[in-house]
Amino acid sequence: MNIAIASVGGQGGLTLSRVLAVAAVLDGHSVRTGETLGMAQRFGSVVSYVRVGGRVLSPVFSEGEADFLLGLEIIEAVRALRLLRRGGLAIVSDALKPPVSASLKRESYDRAELLKYMSDRAKLLVVPAQDLAAQAGNPRAANMVVLGAFGRLQTVLTEGSIRRAISEVIHPRWLEGSLKAFELGAEFCVRSGFARARSD
Amino acid sequence: MRNVLKAPEGERLALMGNEAIARGLVEAGVSVVTGYPGTPSSEVLMTLHEFGAGGDIYVEWAVNERVAFEIAYGASIGGARAAVTMKAPGASVALDPLISSAYGGVEGGLMVLVADDPGPHTTQTEQDDRWLGFLAKLPVLSPSSPQEAKDLTVASFELSEAVKLPVILRTTTRVNHAVGDVVLGPLRPPKRVVLFRKDVPRFVRAGMAWNLERHRWLNRQLSTVEEVFEKVSAVRNTAEGSGKACVVTEGAAYNYVAEAVSELGAEVKIVKLALLFPPPRRFLSEVLEDCERVLVVEELDPYVETLVRSLLSELGRGVPVYGKTASGMALEGELNTRIVREAIASALLGSAAARRSATAEPSRSIGVPPRPPPMCPGCPHRNTYVALLLGMARAGYGRDEVPVFGDIGCYALGAQPPLEAIWTEHSMGASISMAMGLKVAGYDKPVVAVIGDSTFFHAGIQPLIEVAHKQIDVLVVIVDNSVVAMTGHQSTPAWPELESGRKARPMSIESVVKAIGVDRVEVVDPYDLDEAIEAFARLLREPGVRVLISRHPCALMEARVKGVPYRYRVIEDRCVGCLACVRVTGCPALYFDGQRVRIAEEDCLGCGLCARFCPYKAIEVIRSG
Ligand code: SF4
Ligand code: SF4
Repeated sequence: MNIAIASVGGQGGLTLSRVLAVAAVLDGHSVRTGETLGMAQRFGSVVSYVRVGGRVLSPVFSEGEADFLLGLEIIEAVRALRLLRRGGLAIVSDALKPPVSASLKRESYDRAELLKYMSDRAKLLVVPAQDLAAQAGNPRAANMVVLGAFGRLQTVLTEGSIRRAISEVIHPRWLEGSLKAFELGAEFCVRSGFARARSD
Repeated sequence: MRNVLKAPEGERLALMGNEAIARGLVEAGVSVVTGYPGTPSSEVLMTLHEFGAGGDIYVEWAVNERVAFEIAYGASIGGARAAVTMKAPGASVALDPLISSAYGGVEGGLMVLVADDPGPHTTQTEQDDRWLGFLAKLPVLSPSSPQEAKDLTVASFELSEAVKLPVILRTTTRVNHAVGDVVLGPLRPPKRVVLFRKDVPRFVRAGMAWNLERHRWLNRQLSTVEEVFEKVSAVRNTAEGSGKACVVTEGAAYNYVAEAVSELGAEVKIVKLALLFPPPRRFLSEVLEDCERVLVVEELDPYVETLVRSLLSELGRGVPVYGKTASGMALEGELNTRIVREAIASALLGSAAARRSATAEPSRSIGVPPRPPPMCPGCPHRNTYVALLLGMARAGYGRDEVPVFGDIGCYALGAQPPLEAIWTEHSMGASISMAMGLKVAGYDKPVVAVIGDSTFFHAGIQPLIEVAHKQIDVLVVIVDNSVVAMTGHQSTPAWPELESGRKARPMSIESVVKAIGVDRVEVVDPYDLDEAIEAFARLLREPGVRVLISRHPCALMEARVKGVPYRYRVIEDRCVGCLACVRVTGCPALYFDGQRVRIAEEDCLGCGLCARFCPYKAIEVIRSG
């Protein structure tokens, strides 16, 4: 399973990739993730690559090789869409943060138009991640909301391992809100009709 | 997170390459670890700090890479195990003592981590430090995964002690920053100073006869490295698969080769090198024996290709060797499995281009704007640049008349629109010396050098001595945010307490500058914009060496420590969408929605700079909840 995570630096894309890696190891899978780190990425485009299962070696993959695209911001999700394979699934937060380069040129971006662009090309689940994160009591946990929805739409990782991975990776201070956000994401996914409730 | 330094042997964890190296250092019983922050190497020391290694071993950032190396070398000649970490340009900074250390050799194991950055993702050049082996005459090891990074870290100490030479662990971003599953090894107590035996011919480089003798010794030691490495290392040079078509590779590139070969389902022998210098001649001549075509897959320079070609020609074996001439094997940038698959198919198997995966977006029909990393919201450097540019205007100069020499750090992001405030960013400390160069060559308007606090400590002090001594007209701006921000908020020599908990004597930049003999020194807080503009205007009009310290803590660090007491928001019906706020600040918390500007509330850090430049008073302060 290949997962691409597209985000704006600082939104928690790297944390998300780490939670997936830890969960994969807990479930006994082989794992690789690839990204670049450092403050220099803050507020810039960030793509993380996560690969789980089989004999994975390369920490990155190419166009058309992701089974899932997790987008924490719409413009970044569109930028990374080429990584998604035909028939792949995109799970995207409805957050829209146009970069300075666009505002300087008076360009603006329409949420509905960008989402339609994606849904014309891939199966798309749009998640009100910011609202649900705020509702969970941790506005910075939009990444966990997206993870919650993703958890219901894949079959490789167990929910128990993902939860345990969240507890290992997230600082105790933010843990409760993060787990709640994860739950709200999962519930939203089920309500949206994209996935059935899981029993495990 | 699990404490990766304490977790028991046999446990399997998801670790980043640099975390695995940190674990490897503890498994090897290191007692001194030092370095200078630089992406992608920084997380080794950060991991040791985070999990409390500083308690019983010495783990501290040093002022620069050469000092770091010398500290580690001093420890190792006394028998202690020591390590030092740096990014590629840092290896150049440490080169002088590094090369000399090959002549003196070590007693305790010494590992030098040099993290290269093909891509490049975060480095000014794509310097290929595998050549350091030939230049410095030191063994070079290369891991392909986090697991190998840990295991070769441990092996490098065994090798180092056996051949009495420092060992270079050369990595790339795709190893340092890759996360993989790693099985932990046993822990060992730190190996501290045993005894420093006085041995003048060995450790004093002032005697030329001694140096000649030590050079002979060094070459003898190198001749044993391959054999010793095979004995002490869990990670070997390996050959897998069989066939007459062979691929030789190393490091991150191995992963792409192994995946490509299995996808192609072809009969190919994969030769992976873990020892890059001295060239593993015996191993290579054996495994290449029955190869009829050889493809070398490596990132950046044709390093392994050069080794393989010269070895095969020495052996009189006229088999075709493909390397950088094969399709897609560029001298620049990174490889990936797809590129390698195509190269193997065309160069080795003579088959047509291999399959590509069908993407959800076969051709792009909608454009999305680029998002290069900007300065953060509330960044004090933004205020410094705005004040500098307005100060220039006030002093009667155009923006194109006063060259601004930048330096290495977050403040180099000021090169981007809309500020476009700096003209150069070259190497650590170069802002001051390059500004001096332009001036002494006859430039008749003011020149400005902008350098950060940690960069000043790292390599800015000597250039300042140079301009102060020669009395050159340069305005040096030291932007002091009291942290090494760009690489993840490490300590600087101005900190009173370090990551390890060690109490330190904080260095004062003012005192250093004054002690150098600069008489004209001012300090401003760039958040006090009026005063900062006036200071720039005043100092730009003056001759001589002037230093302006523009001091305000990194906004991100402030927000983490103190929270964000208030933020700003746009009053919708007052904003006319003139974009003045965006054009002055370029703050990433501001965006244009088609009609007016909005502030992403969760991103605003409340500096107020945008509000100040709104001609319609449309931006107001709010208390944040
Ligand atoms: S006050 Fe304005 S310039 Fe400052 S951080 Fe907030 S939005 Fe950016
Ligand atoms: S400067 Fe003021 S009026 Fe102009 S776009 Fe910004 S907030 Fe709106």
